Amino acid sequence: MSGKPPKGAAWLAERVLPPASILLFVLAWEVYVRARGIAPIYLPAPSSIAVYLWRMILDGTMEYHLGVTLLRIFVGFAVAAVTGIALGVAMGMSRIAAAVADVWIAALYPLPKISLIPLLIIWLGTGEAYRIVISAVTAFFPIVISTYAGIRQADRGLIKAAQDLGANARQIQLKVVIPAAIPSIFAGLHLGMGVTIILIVAAEMIGGSSQSGMGYLLINAGQVMETEKVFASLVVLAVVGAVVIKLQQWTDRRVAPWAHRDDR
Amino acid sequence: MDVLVENVTQVWSGGSRAEVVALDRFSHRFRSGRFSCLLGPSGCGKSTLVQIVGGLERATSGSVRIEDPAAPAVARPLGADSVMVWQNLNLFPWRNVIDNVAFGLEMRGMPAAERYARARTLIASVGLRGFESHLPGQLSGGMRQRVALARALIMERPILLMDEPFAALDAQTKIVMQEELLRIFEATRKTILFVTHAIEEAILLGDEVVVMTARPGRIKEVIAVDLPRPRSLEMVSSPEFGALFDRTFHLIREEVTAAMRQQDTMAAAS
Repeated sequence: MSGKPPKGAAWLAERVLPPASILLFVLAWEVYVRARGIAPIYLPAPSSIAVYLWRMILDGTMEYHLGVTLLRIFVGFAVAAVTGIALGVAMGMSRIAAAVADVWIAALYPLPKISLIPLLIIWLGTGEAYRIVISAVTAFFPIVISTYAGIRQADRGLIKAAQDLGANARQIQLKVVIPAAIPSIFAGLHLGMGVTIILIVAAEMIGGSSQSGMGYLLINAGQVMETEKVFASLVVLAVVGAVVIKLQQWTDRRVAPWAHRDDR
Repeated sequence: MDVLVENVTQVWSGGSRAEVVALDRFSHRFRSGRFSCLLGPSGCGKSTLVQIVGGLERATSGSVRIEDPAAPAVARPLGADSVMVWQNLNLFPWRNVIDNVAFGLEMRGMPAAERYARARTLIASVGLRGFESHLPGQLSGGMRQRVALARALIMERPILLMDEPFAALDAQTKIVMQEELLRIFEATRKTILFVTHAIEEAILLGDEVVVMTARPGRIKEVIAVDLPRPRSLEMVSSPEFGALFDRTFHLIREEVTAAMRQQDTMAAAS
């Protein structure tokens, strides 16, 4: 079904060059830092970042902070996904719900959610509730908007075909309109996951009393000029972010293989 | 089942644009167990007509009645006796072949074991055994067409409405599907309303060809096709076929020219 895999040199280039470019960059970085004798506080060499990272893994700090952050991301994302999909579906099914919700979305969506942080800290303090709420509120909007759009744009032809085959209004919603919206809902979930990661780490940096999470680790290491730890945390965040997104894509393909048939 | 269409008019009034009369006082009795082809230029309202007959569009005025010749007095709701095969198939892309075919039975609340058993039989009868768990996106155009046909036939409704079902197929696949449909018709004797813009197809398949005018769609002439059944593709080269073709062609040529003029003026206006 899929296109022929590229053969020979092209295949090799496609597979080898991306990781090779990263390796080359790291190598150049190492050489540059050593040759110019740059102070580690300003720009540490990759090798010393690796050493710090390894130590943080051995003494368990990295696992602890990463685990806490991942848990928060998961909870914030889950809250946003459940509420966002539920409201999006409700809007798609009821004109009244859509009309009412539309006003609120139009008013609140353009507001930068980070600007809610002071208010949320006043109301909720700097504990878990504040971090979950700020990330869930931010992720909620792309999810609800994509879900609603997906439901509204369901193929008229499919709805008519279902009607012709004897489906009643409720069956049409459950068996046609919602499945037809799944690709769009997934697109919303991807956007939502991206902003959840950003907001959780940002909230961990701002809520000074949290004492845990990757954001805390970053800001803390930065304040005491442990630049190696800053870089080590960034590396972990980048890798984990990539893994989370890949996992999400993999889930999409498992759940909705029809939506990813770009080889047609 | 007879399909009795009386004075059906369909007017589209799309917001700011001018009103378009798609169908104008269309009246015809499509007789039980006969294969009727609706032939006409694009935009003559033939698709609209079959959708009205199927209860999927409401006519602006006029009426459609489904009549059982054995019990003509009984009123039958539109859509209950017919099933549609769509031009773009409208298969559910997230459902595999068997779940597409069994869709109508599932909506009726038939238990899974029973509906799958029936769906398997139909899938086998259209030559798709072994493809039950494929998604529509994994099939060729001709195979998708067979799925759509099986999904309609499983409903066991006496009237089959077909809206240019083979228009998107390549020439060879089209021939195979036409023969398949002839076989099904000759075995089941359903009432078929078949929309097409291909003259040859209309004559090969139909007992009658209802030639329609360019927009607004009216009946220009009803041509009886008295070729014997079972039909086969070889008949296309017979002199009788040739005579029918010429007659139909002359009728339709005027209408296609008229339709092209309409499109030109519409293009010029926008």
